[in-house]
Amino acid sequence: MQHLRKVSPLVWLFAGIAFPFVISDPTYTTIAIFALLFAAAASAWNIFSGYTGYIALGHAAYFGIGGYALAIICQHWQIPGGYTPFYLVPLCGLLAAIASVPLGAIALRTRRHTFVVITIATFFILQLLSYNLRSLTNGSSGIDFPLILQWAPGFYNLPFYYVALLLTVLALGVSWFVRHSKFGLGLLAIRDDEDRALGLGVRTGSSKLIAFVISAFFVGMVGAVYSYFLGSVQPSFTFDALFDVAIALMVFMGGIGTLTGPILGSLVLESSQQYAALNFTQGSGGLYLIMYGSLFLVVILLLPQGIVPSAKALWARYQATHTASVLPDPSGSGGANPVARSAPGDGMGLATPREEAKA
Amino acid sequence: MYGQSKPWRAPLILLMTLSLTMAALAACGSSSTAGTANTTPIKIGVSLSLTGDFSADGIAFQQGYQLWADAVNASGGILGRKVTLDIVNDASSNTQVVTNYQKLITVDHCDLLFGPFSTKLSIPAASVAHRYGYALVEGAGGGPTVFQQGLNNVFDVSLPVANNLVSYTQWILSLPPSERPATASYATQDDPFTQPQIDLARSLLEAGGIKTASYQVYPAETTDFTPIAQKLLAANGDIVILGTLLQDFTAFATAFKQQHYNPKSIVATAGPDQGTAFLSAIGGTADAEGIMVPNGWYPQQTTPGNQAMVSAYLAKYGGDINSISSDVPEAYSVGQVVQQVVTQVGSFDQAKIIAALHSGSFTSVQGPVKFDSTGQNNSIAAFLFQWQGGNLVPVYPASSDPTFKTPEYPRPNWP
Amino acid sequence: MNLIIDAVITGVLTGGVYALMASGLTLIFGVMDIINIAQGALVILGAYFSYALEQHLHLDLFLGLLISMPTMFLLGVLIHSLFIRPLKQDRTMLSILVTFAIALIIEGVLTILFTTNTVQLQAPYVTQSIKIGDFYLSYIYLYGFVLSVVLLAALYFLLYRTRFGQSLRASMQNRTAAELIGIDVNRISAITYGIGVALTAAGGMAYGATTAFFPGSSYDLISRLLAIIIFGGMGSLSGALIAAVGMLVIEDVTAVVWSPVWASTVFFILLVAILILRPQGLLGKLEGRKQ
Repeated sequence: MQHLRKVSPLVWLFAGIAFPFVISDPTYTTIAIFALLFAAAASAWNIFSGYTGYIALGHAAYFGIGGYALAIICQHWQIPGGYTPFYLVPLCGLLAAIASVPLGAIALRTRRHTFVVITIATFFILQLLSYNLRSLTNGSSGIDFPLILQWAPGFYNLPFYYVALLLTVLALGVSWFVRHSKFGLGLLAIRDDEDRALGLGVRTGSSKLIAFVISAFFVGMVGAVYSYFLGSVQPSFTFDALFDVAIALMVFMGGIGTLTGPILGSLVLESSQQYAALNFTQGSGGLYLIMYGSLFLVVILLLPQGIVPSAKALWARYQATHTASVLPDPSGSGGANPVARSAPGDGMGLATPREEAKA
Repeated sequence: MYGQSKPWRAPLILLMTLSLTMAALAACGSSSTAGTANTTPIKIGVSLSLTGDFSADGIAFQQGYQLWADAVNASGGILGRKVTLDIVNDASSNTQVVTNYQKLITVDHCDLLFGPFSTKLSIPAASVAHRYGYALVEGAGGGPTVFQQGLNNVFDVSLPVANNLVSYTQWILSLPPSERPATASYATQDDPFTQPQIDLARSLLEAGGIKTASYQVYPAETTDFTPIAQKLLAANGDIVILGTLLQDFTAFATAFKQQHYNPKSIVATAGPDQGTAFLSAIGGTADAEGIMVPNGWYPQQTTPGNQAMVSAYLAKYGGDINSISSDVPEAYSVGQVVQQVVTQVGSFDQAKIIAALHSGSFTSVQGPVKFDSTGQNNSIAAFLFQWQGGNLVPVYPASSDPTFKTPEYPRPNWP
Repeated sequence: MNLIIDAVITGVLTGGVYALMASGLTLIFGVMDIINIAQGALVILGAYFSYALEQHLHLDLFLGLLISMPTMFLLGVLIHSLFIRPLKQDRTMLSILVTFAIALIIEGVLTILFTTNTVQLQAPYVTQSIKIGDFYLSYIYLYGFVLSVVLLAALYFLLYRTRFGQSLRASMQNRTAAELIGIDVNRISAITYGIGVALTAAGGMAYGATTAFFPGSSYDLISRLLAIIIFGGMGSLSGALIAAVGMLVIEDVTAVVWSPVWASTVFFILLVAILILRPQGLLGKLEGRKQ
């Protein structure tokens, strides 16, 4: 039983690694790259916003810093297209993290809605700087990345795919680690009641800031890889306000504060949105917006807690009825204790054990 | 054993379902192009912004491409095969545009690619097309940055945008010294499409001795234009040169009217070329009188295919000749050039098509097309247009064509 | 110097229009604790409503409000009962998602009905202006400002001088307690949401007459409106008015003194600075209510 629980993440990882071989068409690996990068960003965002309950809507700023950092470095040192820029991605994440220290410290002096708006404002300030600091950013024209001429079209997406997968796994790993650490417990305590957490001895100020910087670090790396894949940075696209909305929607759709929710939410949302845009837009674009918006409404109203918690509840109910019908069967393989079974058998081996223990 | 949980099952099932769906979809996509029989339609892939910021132009481009496809099919197609347009929506997003061109190439197996609208989307589109060796012929989105990438597969059939205002500066400098304006004011959106045009015009006019009264750059999201208009008003330049699209041009016009600011000449990079959309935005023909815009095309032009395109437009979409946005001929020209090059090459071999595009000369509704080494078309002259009596008429350079009128200068005051 | 005075005057007048657009947002937040992301899209819907009335029925923009405001009120009540009321837990965050979805749907509908071409509301007083000193002031800015002041005053009266307003303020202060003393909080919420949406009809008309717009214009608008209500203090009407005027004056003055490209930067930096000193905004209450 116990080792099966450990197997599940490995199977998922294997599925992730095998994906480009099973579905090798670059169109679908392209969608998968975007979806995975969003998954990494959403998972990182969740480390801060999901665990502490502080909704940050300015992480597009760190996405943009990461993207611009890589573009400027490549341009300045004339780095050729290929693998080299990937090695610089952690450096770009680091630059984003460094920028997030003062910005996060300023924003975290406030709470709730004021915090939300300050994060939005820091995003706008950085976007405007990317327009206005022309000598560094080349203004509205943006900067192009070096072309990667040596990679064949069939191969081109693979490095990006595996880097995106690596970022997702790392973000998830850090999220898991935080979740199971004393530090993470402190964050959750802040979410429940910050003043009480402070009273209980949680160093709320530094905990929040550390979580904020961790999430900015990952989002910065995602921004670098994402921009490199697109081939250029431009203020309106690289500093994109809709990025924040998208990340928040993905996390909420999957289940905020859960471990796998952000990943699931972004994989579902980004790929379905790209797919819908590809296939259901002949003629009128207005219809696409209506359909997308309606789908959204339905999901939020039907699954208000997000996919992972709602699915878990459904699965628990299914298991209850299923177990009842199996129990009378005398040939049932002994020892299968229904109570013990329901915990690991949620099909989401990574889902939050702590919450289940509470339930 | 059924009750035993198998955590590895869920991902495996998901992966299998996914791969089956994708395989089925891929099969659907490719089935239409399977086989090389001559009767199979030629599939032309395009990503256009049917929603979002660029959607007004994106939809006009769709009309242009469609009119061209109708015309080609009516005359028997290309190499004896009909053409179909495979249009997908990129929602004005640079992420979606990458997926879209990827899909058009690898899933839909399009024979040819047409470009998207906007400089901002052309760059990612061109790099995907380049990876697969496809030629990307486009009609708009020729901001200089697209051609600085060193790609050999991007071609813009319209005149290079930076040169758009050159004819205007020539006209101004050709005025007799007594009438020639002494000062000019400039305002431009911070945008890779508009700002290079304004900067070039400014340097040409300054070289011609016309002083700069004011030079304003404003962010693309600006909604309140009154302060910028007030600065222009305070500088009181004799002429005003605006790097705008329709939305901000309308705002400037309103602000100028409110402030009773009447420059002797007003020219804009884009906006006044949008036909009836422009007239309804600005408030009528009297308001439009005397406003100028550079352009490579006009409805009465006698270029190849132009009359057919104009009448087909009126038959299909209604309206009058003023309602035809200049996006329509830009898109139509893309089709014409591609048609000629494919006929010339005799196949859909992209390498040969790219080589032929670099060396050949072509014609379009906008005039002759000949690409330089970067893929820009330097052989089209930008005409200068002016709204006169409710019509947008070409006024410069002078021509024997009866459509050409004498430029009104100075323009009448706002009504 | 004259330029600066002009910029201050236009800033104050346009600020009035922004206050009108933001008043619905701050009211809805105050009563229901929900952030109505759809406010921007509803403003654009209101602008198109006036546009349709003007184009097809040749109704004057201000007369048209007699039709558009009640209709938008009903629309607001409908949206509330269908999508907002079912939200039970975590209302603030879920409301952001739900209203974002509503904004998308509104944009889609407007795209189909009106295409994506840019339009601006036309009326004689949009381009006519009066001379003040050496500076012309358009009537639409004056009328828009007067409309904003009248509507905000009416709203103020409703909140502080009527029985409904009493119940509404009670719901703002403590939802549960209000329910306990017999106030039908759901009904109050529905009506408040309706009023908030009806105000966007007026705000949209004034916005559409001073600015060219298209269905996607709402994205730029909503971030500015959110900044205004936080700046002013969430739930505070007079705060929204001061913040809106302050925002526009700062931006307009920066645009003429320095450069338009730095206008928003200066505003946002000031916003951050003020919020650090006063996290509750200019006129906000110090302690946020418990969710």
